[in-house]
Amino acid sequence: MLLAVNCLDVHYGYAKALHDVTLHLLKGEVVCIAGRNGAGKTTLLKTIAGFLKPSKGSILFDQKPIHGFALEKISLMGIRYVFQDKRVFGELTVRENIELAAYPTKEKVSDSISRILNLYPRMSVLMDSKAKGLSGGQRQILLIGRALIGEPKLLLIDEPTEGLSAGIIEEILNVIMRMKGELSMLVVEQNLSVVSRMADRVYIMKEGSIFKEIVDRAVIEQSNALEGYL
Amino acid sequence: MREKHKEKDVTAKVRNSGALGVVVIALGFILFGSATSIYRTTDFIIFCIFVLGFDLLYGHMGRLSFGHMLFFGSGAYGAGLLVRYATPNPLAAILVGICGGALVGAILGPVVVRATGACFALINLAFNQVGYFLALVGFAKFTGGEDGLSLTFSKIPFLSIANPKVFFGFTLFCLCLTYYFLKRVTASPYGILLRTIKENETRAQFIGYNTYRYKWITYVLSSSISAFAGALATVNYGYVNPSFIDPTRNVEVIFAALIGGAGNLYGAILGGVSYMVISNYLARYIPRWEMFLGLALLVLVFKFREGIWGNILSVWKSRTQTGA
Amino acid sequence: MLSTLIYGLTIGGILYIISIGLSLTFGSMRIVNFAHGMIYTTGAYILIAVLPLIQGNFFEGMLIAILVVIPISFIIEKFIIRRLYGESIDYAIIATYAVLLIGVDLVKWIWGTSPIPLSDPVGKGITFLSIEIPVYRLMIILVSISICAGLWIFFKKTIVGKIVIAGLQDREAVRSLGISVDKYFSIVFVLGSCLAALGGVLYAPITTVHPYMGFHILLISFAVVIVGGLGSLKGTTISAFALGMVMAITGRFWGPAAEAMVFAVMAVVLIIKPIEV
Repeated sequence: MLLAVNCLDVHYGYAKALHDVTLHLLKGEVVCIAGRNGAGKTTLLKTIAGFLKPSKGSILFDQKPIHGFALEKISLMGIRYVFQDKRVFGELTVRENIELAAYPTKEKVSDSISRILNLYPRMSVLMDSKAKGLSGGQRQILLIGRALIGEPKLLLIDEPTEGLSAGIIEEILNVIMRMKGELSMLVVEQNLSVVSRMADRVYIMKEGSIFKEIVDRAVIEQSNALEGYL
Repeated sequence: MREKHKEKDVTAKVRNSGALGVVVIALGFILFGSATSIYRTTDFIIFCIFVLGFDLLYGHMGRLSFGHMLFFGSGAYGAGLLVRYATPNPLAAILVGICGGALVGAILGPVVVRATGACFALINLAFNQVGYFLALVGFAKFTGGEDGLSLTFSKIPFLSIANPKVFFGFTLFCLCLTYYFLKRVTASPYGILLRTIKENETRAQFIGYNTYRYKWITYVLSSSISAFAGALATVNYGYVNPSFIDPTRNVEVIFAALIGGAGNLYGAILGGVSYMVISNYLARYIPRWEMFLGLALLVLVFKFREGIWGNILSVWKSRTQTGA
Repeated sequence: MLSTLIYGLTIGGILYIISIGLSLTFGSMRIVNFAHGMIYTTGAYILIAVLPLIQGNFFEGMLIAILVVIPISFIIEKFIIRRLYGESIDYAIIATYAVLLIGVDLVKWIWGTSPIPLSDPVGKGITFLSIEIPVYRLMIILVSISICAGLWIFFKKTIVGKIVIAGLQDREAVRSLGISVDKYFSIVFVLGSCLAALGGVLYAPITTVHPYMGFHILLISFAVVIVGGLGSLKGTTISAFALGMVMAITGRFWGPAAEAMVFAVMAVVLIIKPIEV
């Protein structure tokens, strides 16, 4: 068991955002979290990543507790969070973005760059342009590429296909599918057809708690069926 | 059960009407004045009015102004200039002082009120600095520059300002009036809107309020009350000079608001009294007064944020809760 | 006209040196640091204290002042600034103002309240187009340009500089990469403080050295930072020199109004482009 979340409660001030959330992730799995807006999906991901501290419950990574740890520490332990909104360091170039990400790890910048180019060869022409000039899809790929530096064990990806056109979504999906198997991923995704294609298992969230866990591949592959649960 | 509710209603009504507060404040100061000195206590009272005006903006609306001496000074100089150049009537002077403060607040408001946080604090300070410059140098011909203006007031029927006891009563009356006014204002829907703006201005805007306008109004109210205090100070001392508008004195009213407990009328008054007590009595024994003030401020910010009144409230709350 | 221009650039240069530190702290930690003024004052007073001991060697005095300020700013950062992180900005203002107050009183205690005159360390002037220009002012301009260049290299070319730039933009994102960005901001704080002390030292001979000088310059520096745009280093650079010119030109026509004019400019800028913090 790579990740085990048990009975997690998270508060924003007095408001309870997550209620008794329990989920798990096995090594090599791609698990999707789906749900309507405001269901708490991002809050859950951010709590696992260390942005937020749970008020109750536990998070175990490789059987070791990580709840309450600092964000930086969790990142260095091998859990990487990929932001929503395609937030890159706009003022730095693509190359500098990668340099920055490689800095705290032992990885050589040239290796990081080759990895991204493997995933997305067209990035080579963009290496020295400012990241803010990249399109949404390119930024998403840069974010994922950055997150892969240092060979993390778990990726927490927040709405990777949001706001992207069908063609770009296809590219992102390819990138994710190629990482599948080597890497475990917990992906928040609202696009159910994408969920259908990438997920091994699906958790549906409603109003701050896990509503349903779907393990049956047959059901997952039918995005209409998934819709029914939302 | 129903009787308990009725009781609660009545006490709530009494509390909210402000009448109780007025009585408590009046009695408190009369006692204090007779125990110490009428002169000193008059000073205290005037300062408390200033703190009330400041705290309306800081404690109730959540905006820290680092330049409120500008309004105190506007009131002080407004009163002083009227007496020197027009009529020596002290009541008129006070009225003109208040209007002066209101005017300055109304003119600066549109610029200042758009800012929040640090910018708000600094912009106020910048304008205070400009005001200080105008009083000291810019309009020195009228304001008497560094020496200021010394004034004589005319006698008014029924109110002999020269008599310290009478003036003490008068300022106490002004304080109670201010307290009562603010009590009604903060307990009203307008007061609730202020607190909403303090918590989350965007929310208030979403509900449909033109928060800009209300912020402006509050700013003008705050400046007017501060000017009221300034004008009273001028009448009290019989002179006005740049120290009445000195930006380095802003720390006094901020300290008072913090130590008393921001956001609360009793807190503001307690804070005003506390600061005056400390600066009048303690300063005699502590030679490095400013250092002490700085250290005390640090302690307040890190360890004692709710101030005296805030702590009293939380102790009372935990007592009544464990009681139930 | 030429001497006004030179004077404007001189003031601009000093404002730049002092304001950059303020802009960095403001941009990185969202904290208004009044204590910056205290460090500035400390720089000037240490110089004065130390000069007689080193036979009036201005350059050495400058270095000593900067060295003394490093541990002081480190302590301020560790015990005050760090605790204010993430808190309401009002408390940061009040707390750092308290530090300034304590510092001012310490200075008054040790050196008294009367202004201390300091003479121009170079004392010579060069004549250009039949106008005498003090060499010292040219030196200040040179120093500020070198610092500007040095900082540019630091922020564009070194990895630490890039971390800070990224951190100014998006602190959470830098942290999520595993970088303890706060440690770097602390370094930046100390760097900014050294610059403040340098500014104090450089400005001391051409202004009055008195306990409240920090309070004085702080307001103008804040105006520079606000006009330049919060957290924008390029903006701060431009507005520092621009406001320096404003001060010099205003000063030529009506001396005491120079500072008031800076605030007038700030007010106008805020009307046109109001900002949130």
